[in-house]
Amino acid sequence: MSSLPQITATPLMDRLIARTVRKRRPLSVHFDLTYRCNERCVHCYLDHQDYGELTTRECANALEQIAQAGALFLTFSGGEIFLRRDLEEILCTARRLQFDISLKTNALLITRERGEMLRRYGVRRVQISVYSSDAAIHDAITKVPGSLERSLASIPLLQEHGIQVKLACPLMKQNLTAYRGVMALAERLAIPYVLDLTITPMMDGSRKPLEHRVPSEALLPILQDSALQSCGTKAIREDWNSGPALGSRVSSGMESSAYEDLPCSAGHNSCYISPYGEVYACVQLPMAAGNLRTERFEEIWKNAPALEHIRNVRESALPVCAQCEIRDYCERCPGLAWMEGGDLHGPYERACSLAEQKARVAGFGNPQSAWHKKVSAVTGVSPVNSDQAQTESLVLN
Amino acid sequence: MSVATSGVWQKNPALAWREIDEETVIISPGDSVMHELNDTGSFVWRNIDGRRTAEDLAALLVEQYEVTRETALADTLSLFEELSLRKLLISAEPPQGGASR
Repeated sequence: MSSLPQITATPLMDRLIARTVRKRRPLSVHFDLTYRCNERCVHCYLDHQDYGELTTRECANALEQIAQAGALFLTFSGGEIFLRRDLEEILCTARRLQFDISLKTNALLITRERGEMLRRYGVRRVQISVYSSDAAIHDAITKVPGSLERSLASIPLLQEHGIQVKLACPLMKQNLTAYRGVMALAERLAIPYVLDLTITPMMDGSRKPLEHRVPSEALLPILQDSALQSCGTKAIREDWNSGPALGSRVSSGMESSAYEDLPCSAGHNSCYISPYGEVYACVQLPMAAGNLRTERFEEIWKNAPALEHIRNVRESALPVCAQCEIRDYCERCPGLAWMEGGDLHGPYERACSLAEQKARVAGFGNPQSAWHKKVSAVTGVSPVNSDQAQTESLVLN
Repeated sequence: MSVATSGVWQKNPALAWREIDEETVIISPGDSVMHELNDTGSFVWRNIDGRRTAEDLAALLVEQYEVTRETALADTLSLFEELSLRKLLISAEPPQGGASR
């Protein structure tokens, strides 16, 4: 012993990420408890039928196993998690296992009593989906009249119990201009927010939700808006306060340099569990690695070929994208590459067209992604820079 | 504040924590702040059970590491002060109801 049990006071999220990535240990788990929902959002990627959700006991077993594997950050989501009648029991198990617990919800079912229950089980943060500060817009997306009012009414019920609230606003055609209102709302309440342009296909591959996606060319005014903190497809405000006097603030860690040449955390130190016990690298990468009903989590995490396949992806080795001149502006997601382009290692139209828009905002004259250049060279025609063009027909090998 | 050698402390039950490679990461949900303990801090943390005193824990440190009883006790008390200042430890006597955030 060198004299001293001591507390490290430097920011540690980066080190934690670096260590878990290096050792391939799960750090964060996103666990959807149900796909059932009391809203019917137009852009949702889920099938809301119940095909046999994990039982309370199965959920507890899953939690035991992921705690044993070392995971610390646990996000319960859905569907709408408050439709699980056993949510309190599940939270009780998660608390006993000392997880850092966050929830994603539409908050329609939050009451003062439920706020107190969440405090009792140490829930740290609740993320609430808000599509607009205008009820007509929000309610048209959720298809539930009065839903904005009910969602917002939950915020003080959570805050009075010391639970941090964050607003999440997916942006789509229906609410594209609403982001300033959501930002103002978050500022007024002094709560964090995330604006996100990601609209994904359904988990079964159906592209129906993409009808609501804002075409890339329509995003130029948004990307140029100085009110957004970052010129990207996500604008995140994590904290309104200065840093803590002791310790360091929990952060998403998404921008950590520890990921270096990796596309993201999926499969490296994070994973997703469906209500049916399927384990995936990410909810946006529905390539099942195994099922907790038949296999142990540790076995799946260490040995599943699907996870190994994903872990082998390196940004610098992507056959087309690695040569792209505007890759600094690209937020290519391996899951969407697989779902939209059919290739975990390949480009896809949305990423290319968004990168081009962002590069244009940054001052590039006529930016063109490596993939679009290749398509032009083969066909002699510049790809139509529109997500509506559905350029999946432009397949290159 | 000062921590008595005979006082009994317990981990704040509202905390999230994990031991990862002999280091412990602790998160207090009320303020979303992360704390980290090194290997010896983790050893003490692991053995805080709401029954052992600082003296008991120092004795365990003496057994585990090559350290004098005096050093072990001083380090344990210093850690306890730091942990209680950060509200990661709460007194186990008299018994408290509910979790402190």
